[in-house]
Amino acid sequence: MKSDKYSTFTSALKWATSHKKGSLGLLILILFLLIAIFADFIAPHKPDELGLADGLAVPIWLKSLPEYRNLPENVVIMASSNNWNIKSSEGLQLQRSNQWLICNISTNENYLRKVIFLEYPFNYSYSPPRIFEGKLPFTVSVYEAPGSYARLQLYIETPSGRNYEIFDSGSIAYNKSMIDPPARFDARDVSLKLMLGFAPDEDVGEKIFAEEGTYHLRLVLTFVVVNGSTLKVAIGPLYFRILGLAYGLLGTDNLGADLFSNLIYGTRVSLLVGVMASVISVSIGLVVGLVSGYKGGIVDQILMFFTDTLLFMPVIPLLVAVSVFIGKNLYLTISLIALLSWMGFARNCRSYVMSLRDRLFVESAKALGASDIYIIFRHILPQLTPIVYITLVMNVPGAILLEASLSFLNLGDPSIPSWGRMLYNAYYSGAFFRMVWWWIIPPGLMIALLAMSFVLIGQTLDEVFNPKLRARR
Amino acid sequence: MVLFTALVLEFLLLRVLPYYILGIDPSFFFMNPNLTNEQRALIRKTFGLDEPLPYQFVKYVLSLFTGNLGYSFYTRRPVASELMERLPNTLILLGTSTILVILIGIGVGLLIAMKRGGKVDTTIVTTGVFLNSFPAFFLGLLFLLVFGYYFRLFPMAGTVSRPPPQDFFSYIVDYLWHMTLPLLTQLMIGIGGFALFIRSLFITQLGEDYIVTARAKGVSEEKIMMRHVLRNILPPIITVVALELPGIVSGAVITETIFSWYGVGRWLFEASMQFDYPVVQAVLFISIVLTVTSLYIADIVIALVDPRVRLK
Repeated sequence: MKSDKYSTFTSALKWATSHKKGSLGLLILILFLLIAIFADFIAPHKPDELGLADGLAVPIWLKSLPEYRNLPENVVIMASSNNWNIKSSEGLQLQRSNQWLICNISTNENYLRKVIFLEYPFNYSYSPPRIFEGKLPFTVSVYEAPGSYARLQLYIETPSGRNYEIFDSGSIAYNKSMIDPPARFDARDVSLKLMLGFAPDEDVGEKIFAEEGTYHLRLVLTFVVVNGSTLKVAIGPLYFRILGLAYGLLGTDNLGADLFSNLIYGTRVSLLVGVMASVISVSIGLVVGLVSGYKGGIVDQILMFFTDTLLFMPVIPLLVAVSVFIGKNLYLTISLIALLSWMGFARNCRSYVMSLRDRLFVESAKALGASDIYIIFRHILPQLTPIVYITLVMNVPGAILLEASLSFLNLGDPSIPSWGRMLYNAYYSGAFFRMVWWWIIPPGLMIALLAMSFVLIGQTLDEVFNPKLRARR
Repeated sequence: MVLFTALVLEFLLLRVLPYYILGIDPSFFFMNPNLTNEQRALIRKTFGLDEPLPYQFVKYVLSLFTGNLGYSFYTRRPVASELMERLPNTLILLGTSTILVILIGIGVGLLIAMKRGGKVDTTIVTTGVFLNSFPAFFLGLLFLLVFGYYFRLFPMAGTVSRPPPQDFFSYIVDYLWHMTLPLLTQLMIGIGGFALFIRSLFITQLGEDYIVTARAKGVSEEKIMMRHVLRNILPPIITVVALELPGIVSGAVITETIFSWYGVGRWLFEASMQFDYPVVQAVLFISIVLTVTSLYIADIVIALVDPRVRLK
């Protein structure tokens, strides 16, 4: 019997694959499964990595269109001790050790002032960006005498020769370590904007990197040493980054997270919710249907009473209310969806079992002394396999759509990336009104495709098991 | 009886479960943290929240019999009167869309069932399947984006313009103008599934013996469809329609939220977000009541239509 069951299933599969609709659905589904399984390898980033590029960056392939051609990509500069050009050091010896620049100054003179110029040229050949940021680790150690100090200033020189001071450590006259965390500077920083003479709402990056050409990062170190003291300054590798406005396969969202990675990881949630909710709801429905159909009488009445009661509950309003009141949790959502979707199947199952119960083969099995459990598992359950399979598949799209809708209303699990959540973010960060279609279309399309693949497979299975539907083609 | 159990279940899910699992009391969310303990106690007492939960439940059910749906935590107004403001909007939007879905669905289903296997059938079925698996909110947003924002043909939000037009006729026009997009969304979501359902009903019937007999007698295809098949598939259609009806009141939560429709669905969503328990409970209660009644009515209608079913 068991082998027979499997052979019907495999033959159904065979039939489905020989069928256009079914094979299309299966193909899409397998594709999504592969994406879900290998999400870690396909997606270039974890979904919760933020600030990968500027917010609302366009997909990189859009740069082939003329209107986006010149958009900046991420420019990352690591200026370590080996990269700095020493312009003038006033005779000071700078040691290079493991990417760090170290200089030791001690003097016997009354007062010594040294200024060191370091320079790092780089090429920038895009349209103006909005934001740049960077960090510079350094330590300053002052030994013994008060009055010595060090000062670090970082400038950007534009091709036309204008200088912008983007970082100033101030005079440091005491031991100070800025390694962990390093000193940071950021074009979004209002005090930086004011220091450079811009208004707080202006984009500094746009003003500074307005031209294309060779820019210079200039590090100016000022050391003042008084008699008898030693000053030791170590400068780590400077990390400087211009945040791109074109990034990744699908651009970034408003917080600079990679949309493509989010899209890939969203597959997992949708599949998980769809399949788990469907399996749970079919199991509940099967048990209830079997018991109440086979037992009949008072058990049947009680079970059907509960089934009807649940059938009367409005699904979406209840889901919304409960998700808000109890909490946003993925497994809660799954169980609620399952809890509110098994009733139809239970009723189907019950009527089917009732019709089987009075058949001759059940009666003869009873006459032979078979127990109820034996009859249910051996004689009735195998007859139910087709509708179990069909319902199993047909329940998935509903669950997927429900989960997506809940996530869209921001009632999904906030810690898990999902397609509905992407659309929620897109909607509430104004992506819709900036024509950011690469943020909006993909998740919606993915939801529709995934749901459709299950519908197609389900319909094919339906036609396989219910020959009536194939009648008079 | 069913109604009562549904109420118990609803109460369990909304009040008892959050209270015992998370220790959440409804008053927690709407009270100003600066209030003194006496003020808190007073507020809790006005809403009857100081009593034990079973007692609250009994009181709630008893007051339902008198038509008292409680007072909103937020506006402090009777829920029933607030409901009455919103109910017409939802009824108009969803009533129209449901009726249209049923009519167009039956029409399209009939059409493609008659031309089954042909090109028209395949195209419509494919479109139907695709539309059916489209998330409602996504479709709504696309409509809003394309027709509301880019072409500016339809308003972005609301039920009527602000300020509303004074004379009656232009008010109606304005109302319909605002209703177009939400209605279109509801239709697009609904029709696909419904037409496919009708089609499969038709096709299942076509294999029956009486059809073969009718064909053998030389009855025309149209007549077979309209007179023989349609009559036989009416009961399941009525049941499905009856199950759709309560949705008219609880509303399309998502569509209404997206289009800022001043209706019950959006109200429910906003009330949930504000932990406005009386409102949420009232909307759920009304929707359950309506499901129960509409299913009873459906049973009666089926008995009238189908002579095989007898009323006991």
